[in-house]
Amino acid sequence: MLDQLGNGLLLGIIISVASVALSLLYGVTRIVNFAHGEIIALGAIMTLFFSSPVDYRVLFLDKYSPLGYNFALSCILAVIVCGLFGALLEVCLFRPLRKGNVGNIAVLVVTIGLSIFIRHLYLLFATGKVQDFPLELQRRQTYLFFDMTPRNLNVLIAGIVVMLIFGFLLTYTRLGKAMRAVRDSEELSSVSGINSDNIILITWISSSMLAGLAGIFQAIINDVRWNMGFLILLLIFAGTVLGGIGTSFGAMVGGFLIGILVQVSVGLPFMEGHTEAKNAVALAIMILILLFRPQGIFGQKERIS
Amino acid sequence: MKISNKFLFAVFLTGFSIYLVFALNPEGASRILLNLLTFAGIYGLSAIGLNVHFGWTGLLNFGHASFMGVGAYVTLLLMPHAAGREGEITSTGLPFIVALIIGILSAALFGLLLGLPAIRLRGDYLAIVTIAAAEIFRLLVRDLESITGGVYGIINYTENLQKYRPNFINNFSESLEFSPSQAWVCLVAWVSILFTVLFLKRLNNSPWGRALRAVREDEDAVRAMGKNAVWLKLQSFMLGAGIAGLSGVLLAFNYGSLETTVFVPLLTFYVWAIMILGGVGTITGPIFGSIIFWVIISETDRLAFILFENANGQQLAGVRFLLVGLLIMALMIFRPSGLLGKKEELLLDVK
Repeated sequence: MLDQLGNGLLLGIIISVASVALSLLYGVTRIVNFAHGEIIALGAIMTLFFSSPVDYRVLFLDKYSPLGYNFALSCILAVIVCGLFGALLEVCLFRPLRKGNVGNIAVLVVTIGLSIFIRHLYLLFATGKVQDFPLELQRRQTYLFFDMTPRNLNVLIAGIVVMLIFGFLLTYTRLGKAMRAVRDSEELSSVSGINSDNIILITWISSSMLAGLAGIFQAIINDVRWNMGFLILLLIFAGTVLGGIGTSFGAMVGGFLIGILVQVSVGLPFMEGHTEAKNAVALAIMILILLFRPQGIFGQKERIS
Repeated sequence: MKISNKFLFAVFLTGFSIYLVFALNPEGASRILLNLLTFAGIYGLSAIGLNVHFGWTGLLNFGHASFMGVGAYVTLLLMPHAAGREGEITSTGLPFIVALIIGILSAALFGLLLGLPAIRLRGDYLAIVTIAAAEIFRLLVRDLESITGGVYGIINYTENLQKYRPNFINNFSESLEFSPSQAWVCLVAWVSILFTVLFLKRLNNSPWGRALRAVREDEDAVRAMGKNAVWLKLQSFMLGAGIAGLSGVLLAFNYGSLETTVFVPLLTFYVWAIMILGGVGTITGPIFGSIIFWVIISETDRLAFILFENANGQQLAGVRFLLVGLLIMALMIFRPSGLLGKKEELLLDVK
């Protein structure tokens, strides 16, 4: 059971970063974003596009070549593209919806449509093949009591550092305070001189950049697939709900817990020979949490029934 | 009964889309039409069930595929079939109609089981819980290979329905050159729709139907009138789930072999698109929505084939989903009431 702990931590860091992003967006805008997984996949696909060797004609219906940039540069560029994409979504789609007073449920259905649309654009233009980043293979090593490759250990550390910096920014800067103000009441914060449109735009950008980063992590640890975001989306919901929807710190811990639970459950006696069903464990936990402690581990009480 | 302009427009649009099939397919139009009408009937039935959930009661159900799945799996497993890696044959079983009734009841029971805890949740949380429950169902079915056949699926069950095929279908199919077995499934699907619609029309005008719509409009008011709102929601959940179960069975008979990949979340989103297109809260809307939807889908497949010559089969199949996503978004933004729905009857905000 313990041998799965390393895998659990790695799945945890992906879910954790993505959950913080999802939770931030929900906290400020009250949008349950089903298209979140597609922004995650965008991070991975753009990195693949920037970094793969030029003679690697797989992308874009076999017509175009990737750019062959340095890998670190590619990651940064991909995260920026994700941020821009988030800004585009907010300005072109969600801001008009908000101004038109479209209800929460309608927006939720719109994000589902958006998710299906974008995902199949990826299928069309980035092929249905499973692809890997152009990185050399590494051997697993033992750190303390878990096994992982040095590169994955770096991913784990980088993810935790990014989330800590992010949490610090949200808690102590003026921007973070403004975000919380907009969350509590858009009108009241506008009266106090906060430009709520800008705050929501910044929220979209930072949430999308974090999601893109999560996608890069997922692709380094596993691989790039056109539907990678949707495959992990429900686990991200589970992580967010477990930690308490709308709280960044909670989402961080919840994400790790879900990741570890999913991987460790493979080692449970009744799961022997049923490893395919491991995600069902996490989803069942999410449902139980929603029923018995809907505010999650760290969330504040709120009427959700 | 006064016929509204909206209704005439829906009929016209449906007729026009069927005409399009003939216009765009000089050869084999009748076969294509039969195929899409069969799918339209089955998905339309499912959308009618979903409309009981979302349109009538305001329950945001995104796990509709699991209700269809429960109906299909229970019914098929009770009848003679072959399943699993080795194609293990079960030669004894219940007759079709008994198995079907048990299947529908099981789907309704699954609705009750899922609804009992989940129905107290607010709209957006209910959406997450239902989609998660549907995934759990799918993962379990795939995993329990000894019972459900797992990834290898169930085969050799179509004879259970086909042996009741009347003779006139055979003669009719021969003259029009289409598959008699699909024509029979198509007929069964549309007869089911007819009876479901008649049944729901009756319910809709009953005190029960009015109470249900009152739950959607103002739950507290319903409570104040001494009605049990939670029990009303549960009944609605069971009714819609049962209808979905029936459509799941028909879907299985149309495919000829049942695999777990049928009941992915995308199936639910298809049904959502059909319901929104037809009109949320209406009874007949999903029928028109379904036919138009499937004409769009089947013609998109042909268009994609011409447009993207480099694409592989998986990518071509993706083009239709691209369109489904776009359709859901566009309808929800520009015309959330669809073809026949009334805007004031829509539940669009979290309550």
